[in-house]
Amino acid sequence: MNPLLTLLQINDSVFPIGSFTHSYGLETYIHKRIVHDVESTRNYAETMLKHSVYYNDAAFFSKAWEICSGKFSMRKLIALDTLVSSLKSPYEIREASRKLAIRLLKIVESFKSLRRCKAYLEAIQGGTAGGHYAIAFAMYAQQQQISYEDALSAFYYNTLNGIVTNCAKLVPISQTEGQKILFSLQDLIKDLVATQKDMDDAMLGNCCIAQDLRCMQHEKLYTRIYIS
Amino acid sequence: MESTIKINAEREGAYSVLKESFHNAPYKLTHYGSPRAQKHLEMIIMSASPGIMDGDMLTIDVNVKNDAHVKLFTQSFNKLHSMKNGAYQHTHMKLSAKSVLHYVPHPVTPFKDAIFYASNRIDMADDATLIWGDIISAGRIYMDEVFQFEKLHSRTEIFRNGRLILTDNQCLMPKVQPIQKLLFFESYTHQATFMYSGPWAKAMKAEFDEILSGEYEDIAFGFTYAAEDTLLLRALGTDGELLYSFLSMLGQMCWEFTLHEQSKREEVRNNEVDKAEREVSADVLVKESVTVKRRKVKKQPAA
Repeated sequence: MNPLLTLLQINDSVFPIGSFTHSYGLETYIHKRIVHDVESTRNYAETMLKHSVYYNDAAFFSKAWEICSGKFSMRKLIALDTLVSSLKSPYEIREASRKLAIRLLKIVESFKSLRRCKAYLEAIQGGTAGGHYAIAFAMYAQQQQISYEDALSAFYYNTLNGIVTNCAKLVPISQTEGQKILFSLQDLIKDLVATQKDMDDAMLGNCCIAQDLRCMQHEKLYTRIYIS
Repeated sequence: MESTIKINAEREGAYSVLKESFHNAPYKLTHYGSPRAQKHLEMIIMSASPGIMDGDMLTIDVNVKNDAHVKLFTQSFNKLHSMKNGAYQHTHMKLSAKSVLHYVPHPVTPFKDAIFYASNRIDMADDATLIWGDIISAGRIYMDEVFQFEKLHSRTEIFRNGRLILTDNQCLMPKVQPIQKLLFFESYTHQATFMYSGPWAKAMKAEFDEILSGEYEDIAFGFTYAAEDTLLLRALGTDGELLYSFLSMLGQMCWEFTLHEQSKREEVRNNEVDKAEREVSADVLVKESVTVKRRKVKKQPAA
């Protein structure tokens, strides 16, 4: 198989795992007019990558990659999964991570069965694991001989793409402005990927309080287009 | 300075009482009012020091044994003074079967250059209940020290039956984070976290859904079903006292709800035991009468 094409496929925004149905709290920000134009969209996207994704999903990705690269241990993976579940406190965010993980693992299982991915899927379905997209994505990408840097860059890119697409629909901002934000944050993604492995372990899962709060408020929004 | 506060609470009949306890300078642990004024135990942590200084290390160890109910109070805002190396606080709480602990301390106020590390670990039995609060302010606002502290890192972990169910990791570093902006304080100056973990968290969440359905001008908040049997609320505001009252009000609501549900469960259990005992004694009576009848039959002479 071609690792680049596999990465493009699983990272595609139309890969049918339902990622387009989630905003991860962004809908609340837009509803409250905190994110309301190009500048605030850019601010939100940049702060999210630098201060939230870097310490959370991207860091969980990196930890899962580490477990999969060495002598694989399902026990270690489940321990990481439990820690991630305990850190994702907003209900909708935890559920989003779980649903995306299950769908990703089911689709890739239909391509070719991989023992580790199958075992993780069974653990989620059996209740011994919560299920997290960042872990599942790292597991599968690592097994497909995709490089760590490429897979993590793609993971960041996909998160940013989700933010920009949602803002283009909801704020709204023009598609061109959205693409300009995506292009202009390439250097930031490069820096984040380069330093990810050196991240202080004490910061793993660091919470941005307002982001958490807006995710929780999403449960009570009067009109909702997104699930989270 | 190294200090320790230890509390052991036990249930004796209808009352929760203080068993072995320990404290050293500058802290003092005492009953909050008369020890027998209420059935549960109320303790207050007081301090003779003006606040936490550089190099201070405080260990708080609370052990709430089976069926004991404890409310732990603080005396005033916890002031974190200017530091070069930092101060530490380790809190360990052990909650045994059917115990209830209420701990909503006053807000923490970090002065300019304060460095503070707080780690909290709560080990809970299946049917124990925790009511927990945590408020952090931006600093001494009227001294022009808003977000002038160096670092404030707080990590709280809840284990139920030895299994990690919730981790709250918050590290605030105003010099490297856009702390007053999006994702962080969003122009507010105080943040609060409230947790209610126990067998009635789901039911309490339904109560919150009704009671906290509106929005307030002074406080932004959100709550969620954060983990198995755990309700978590986060709030942002501009007034420490107001957030403290808000959390205390929620804490009291959860406390009363828990005690009410516990006594209801106890009543159901007692009724079931009574019913079972009645059935057993009725059974014994029936068996005895049958034996008597059989004996009577045997004694009858053959025709």
